[in-house]
Amino acid sequence: MRLLLVEDEREIQSFVKQSLMEAGYEVDTAEDGATASRLAAKHAYHGLIVDLGLPDQDGIDLILQLRRIGITSPVLILSARRSVDDRVKGLELGGDDYLTKPFAIAELLARMRNLLRRNSTQREDVTRIRVCDLELDMLKRRATRAGEVLNLSPQEFGLLEYLCRHAGRVVTRSMLLAEVWGIRIQPDTNVVDVHIYRLRGKIDTEGREPLIKTLRGVGYVLKAS
Amino acid sequence: MFSRPASPILRSAAWRISLWATLAFAIGTMLVFAMLHRFVADDIQRRSDAWLSGEVEVLGDVAARTPKNRLYSRVVGEIAELASREVPNRQRASGGDSGNDTVFFLQAREDGAVGLWVGSGDGAATLSAIRSTKALGNVPFDMRVAGVGIPFRVASVRIPDGSKIYLGLSERDELHVLRNLRVRFFTLWLVIVLLGFVIVFYATRRMLGHVREITEAASRIGQSDLSSRVPNTQSNDEIGHLARTLNHMLDRIENTVHQLHTITDSLAHDLRSPLTAIRGKLETTLSNELRIDQAEPIISAIDELDRLTEFLNTSLDVAEAKADALRLVRTEIDLDELLRGMMNLYEPSMSDKGLAVQIRSAGSVKVLADPALLHRVIANLFDNELKHVPASCTVWLSLESADDMGRLMVEDNGPGFDVGVGRDPFERRVRGRASKGHGLGLAFVEAVVRVHGGTVTATNRSEGGARLAVSLPLCRPQNREQTHTLALAKG
Repeated sequence: MRLLLVEDEREIQSFVKQSLMEAGYEVDTAEDGATASRLAAKHAYHGLIVDLGLPDQDGIDLILQLRRIGITSPVLILSARRSVDDRVKGLELGGDDYLTKPFAIAELLARMRNLLRRNSTQREDVTRIRVCDLELDMLKRRATRAGEVLNLSPQEFGLLEYLCRHAGRVVTRSMLLAEVWGIRIQPDTNVVDVHIYRLRGKIDTEGREPLIKTLRGVGYVLKAS
Repeated sequence: MFSRPASPILRSAAWRISLWATLAFAIGTMLVFAMLHRFVADDIQRRSDAWLSGEVEVLGDVAARTPKNRLYSRVVGEIAELASREVPNRQRASGGDSGNDTVFFLQAREDGAVGLWVGSGDGAATLSAIRSTKALGNVPFDMRVAGVGIPFRVASVRIPDGSKIYLGLSERDELHVLRNLRVRFFTLWLVIVLLGFVIVFYATRRMLGHVREITEAASRIGQSDLSSRVPNTQSNDEIGHLARTLNHMLDRIENTVHQLHTITDSLAHDLRSPLTAIRGKLETTLSNELRIDQAEPIISAIDELDRLTEFLNTSLDVAEAKADALRLVRTEIDLDELLRGMMNLYEPSMSDKGLAVQIRSAGSVKVLADPALLHRVIANLFDNELKHVPASCTVWLSLESADDMGRLMVEDNGPGFDVGVGRDPFERRVRGRASKGHGLGLAFVEAVVRVHGGTVTATNRSEGGARLAVSLPLCRPQNREQTHTLALAKG
């Protein structure tokens, strides 16, 4: 998949590009709006990452301009601004996503993946998720490991479900807070860690291969099959 | 403007003002009239007194000179009759003839009998009435005759033969003039007072209508809509001046707030970009396979960076909130739901720390607030408990709504607020001795709650422990209307 990264800060551009390439995307870069529109007109991109503070024009104007010329690829907006512009909210409703700086790379990748999947319209509505010997029955809200039923609270089930859906990929604390609890905060305390710790206590019991791995300073990852 | 229902009119300032103004005007004019009335009455009386004195003098002279023969009573009676034709203040058109009851002439002999009587009515009754009145020398006096409704003004003179001559003038005409004066005055007075009231009432009402429009606009602006302006009347009067001054002030406030936003935005932007770059580099380094001892400092650097970012965000939020310049995106939020959601998130951490938590809530409490900010407020309160309350304590969360306010109370039986923190734990960077936080938590809570029109109080419970009470205005459609009337009542 080919992405266009529009970011004028060299250093940010370089590490974002590097991480996207490591994640298997092809990445073109632009440092201003003019270059970005030229590139976008020439190539078909699966997705765009646009910083709002571009030297020659406002990122939102660029996106609207691209939309006008018929480019419908999903956009991940990056912003260092404090307030979320109403127009950004409009774009968010239109299916694009928004990320504030500074961000964790894992989160950027996860959101990009979400956007691309949303766009490819192949939303899987599975009733059963299987990761390694872990099995989740979405209808009965029941989880088993190696055939053995796990006694999970509804919250723990939700947490495990989210980890399973993103198996093999890093999820950050703020992603979990937003997606599992629906709360957009940066807690001062390790509330999420405690939940993971409890969940791990029920899944990764003695003598079994640990599935939930903590990446310190980054987040968590559930081992993929 | 005049479409309001009738009942608030009686409570309006316009009503009160016009009532008082009219009352003052009515009393004032009444006093002036009383003085005028008195002056007119005195003047009429002085003129009748002058006539009476002169006439009684003449009659006395005539009576003294006329020989006491058979013709005496006829001559004196004739003179008296003639005199009565020249009565001052005479108004009766039908008076004319001898049967007049306006004037009487009475000669009382020394022995107290009626010597000569000219006039209608009964001479003896009049004489006894005169006797019973305490007359002072030759000064004219007022006298009432039994059976006659109208009093007489009487002047007297003693003639050499010892008898006394009385000349009486009925006060009917005088009273008639005065009554006419009063009736006309009161009619006119009533019309003027009513007319004045109506004019004053509508003028003030119109004026205060402008004031109310200004108040309403100002209160709208107070609710964070800085771009709207007070309606500008074209008039050049005080109200127009007030509107223009307010608008001018609002321009400046909007400018200042805009500048503050520009400053905080560019500050945030300028700091966030390098932070993003640093964090990105650290994370990229971390993703390479590293030994634990190599990874550790990078991880802690990322943690520190995140804390710095959070501090930056909160700090700017508190600064903006203190300047009343926080940008709010309000939606309806159920505090009960939010509290339970937050409780789900925090419960494991609490129980791990050995804290018991109890929620008391009577059901949904809806407030109009910015969700992102309110989430952080509640999270801050929980974090605060988690950080400052020692193990095996209890935390009580209670939610209730009273008097248009939703009240969330967080209590514990921990050590309470540090006395060293002083009276205001909400001040920025005020921290307890054992606190490890950046000291912005409660300052943030206070600032955010305040811009939402609520209050926060922090007290130590008498039975030990801390109590934090957050009040937020409930989400109700009539809230706006109430603030307007409140503002108007104050103004």
